[in-house]
Amino acid sequence: MSFLRKKRLFVLLIGFIVLVVLIGFSLRDRENLTAVEDFLNDSVGFVQNIIHTPVNYVTGFFSNLDDIRDTYEQNELLKEKIAEYSGLIYEVQELREENDELRSTMEMIDSESIRDFNPIQATVISRSPEQWVEQITINKGEQDGVRSNMAVITAEGMVGKIQTASDYTANVQLLTGFDQLNRISATISREEGQDINGMIEGYDEESSSLMFRIIEESEDELQEGELVVSSGMGGVFPAGLQIGTVKEVVPDQYGLTRTALVEPAADMYDINQVIVVDRALAEDDNTQTEEEEE
Amino acid sequence: MKRIYLPLILFLLLLLEGVALKLLPPGLVISDLLITPHWVLVFLILVSIFYDREDTYYSVLYALLFGLLFDIVYTGILGVYMFSYALVVYIVHGLRRMLHGNIFASLLLGAVGIVIADIFIYMVYTVVGMTEVVWADYLMTRLLPSLLANWLFLVIIYPLTVNKLTDWGEEQLTGSKSIL
Repeated sequence: MSFLRKKRLFVLLIGFIVLVVLIGFSLRDRENLTAVEDFLNDSVGFVQNIIHTPVNYVTGFFSNLDDIRDTYEQNELLKEKIAEYSGLIYEVQELREENDELRSTMEMIDSESIRDFNPIQATVISRSPEQWVEQITINKGEQDGVRSNMAVITAEGMVGKIQTASDYTANVQLLTGFDQLNRISATISREEGQDINGMIEGYDEESSSLMFRIIEESEDELQEGELVVSSGMGGVFPAGLQIGTVKEVVPDQYGLTRTALVEPAADMYDINQVIVVDRALAEDDNTQTEEEEE
Repeated sequence: MKRIYLPLILFLLLLLEGVALKLLPPGLVISDLLITPHWVLVFLILVSIFYDREDTYYSVLYALLFGLLFDIVYTGILGVYMFSYALVVYIVHGLRRMLHGNIFASLLLGAVGIVIADIFIYMVYTVVGMTEVVWADYLMTRLLPSLLANWLFLVIIYPLTVNKLTDWGEEQLTGSKSIL
């Protein structure tokens, strides 16, 4: 009996050591998964791909019922908006032509700006049931050109970035799960070089908003409802992706800088289709690692 | 051939957990409540009560395997679910000889198992800095709702699976040499 008990204790201890080693291994800042994880992620992803379709159909049916009730009001609203847009389209076209002209006079015709990107369409096949890990899985992987650290957006705005990519699936870390290690360089656009620059530095659960630490102040006061977009300075994300709108500005704990609470533009809970953003502007690896270490 | 049923069911449950949050009404998901499905664990507890004999530990083996799979697929932090599921299933396996295998014992052991597993996960995640929720908040927003939701799941699958599990257990384990 005492032998049995000793054996049990022994196994428990070994188990504990294995646990600590495994956690330590997985918390390293790793870019690539091990081959085993890759393989399992891909094979599970393959079956999830099959399963999520009927589930989506069922849940979609109920949300459709909800939608039908609001259709009339929405329709009225949308008609108004369309009227506005037709004016806008004309303006955009003018601006685009002018932009192209100016570029060609500067002989930049072939160079790609940091705004350009190649979109990769993807479908969300699962979301981590562990809600402390803000992670979703999409059905596109390295074979489709998805690499880690790419930005992920929906039609409304940015939702996160690729954490790890397997061959046929990829894990996306949502903005709500960002911390100090995953900063996004962002900006609030103003006229005449008065832009406010800063970093999105994490997510505040209490106010359910992103924290935008302001690095470069502007003379104008920040106002509620101003749009925060990615600045493209970080080297990974292209410029001009919508992140959210300013909700409130608070001084940080030392009173040196200020932090704006930003409400994410995209809905983090109801995500079905996403676009992985492959920044067109290639860059050498040196600058990229520098930016990340910064 | 029938031996493949158990892993297959567990795999299916694991996959369904990935879309579980979609099945909840959106109001619940956005609210502060963090309802976490532990379906694999609930089923493993039933397996350990009804399928395993006193001296076989298939449920613990499956707990290790599918806990690890959960870690790989859904969290990326290896070992947490693996260890907590295996520990819980082992404890349940040890406790079951004190109780008869009926619905009340299952509910009791299920509740004990879910609570231990979730608290263990909470502690590990707190240590590694994945979450900064304080204990009281954790208790109200995650532990209790998850316990109730998983209990409901247990009540639903109990009548569907128990007889099958007992049959398979008798069929596959009698005469076989015990493992572990």
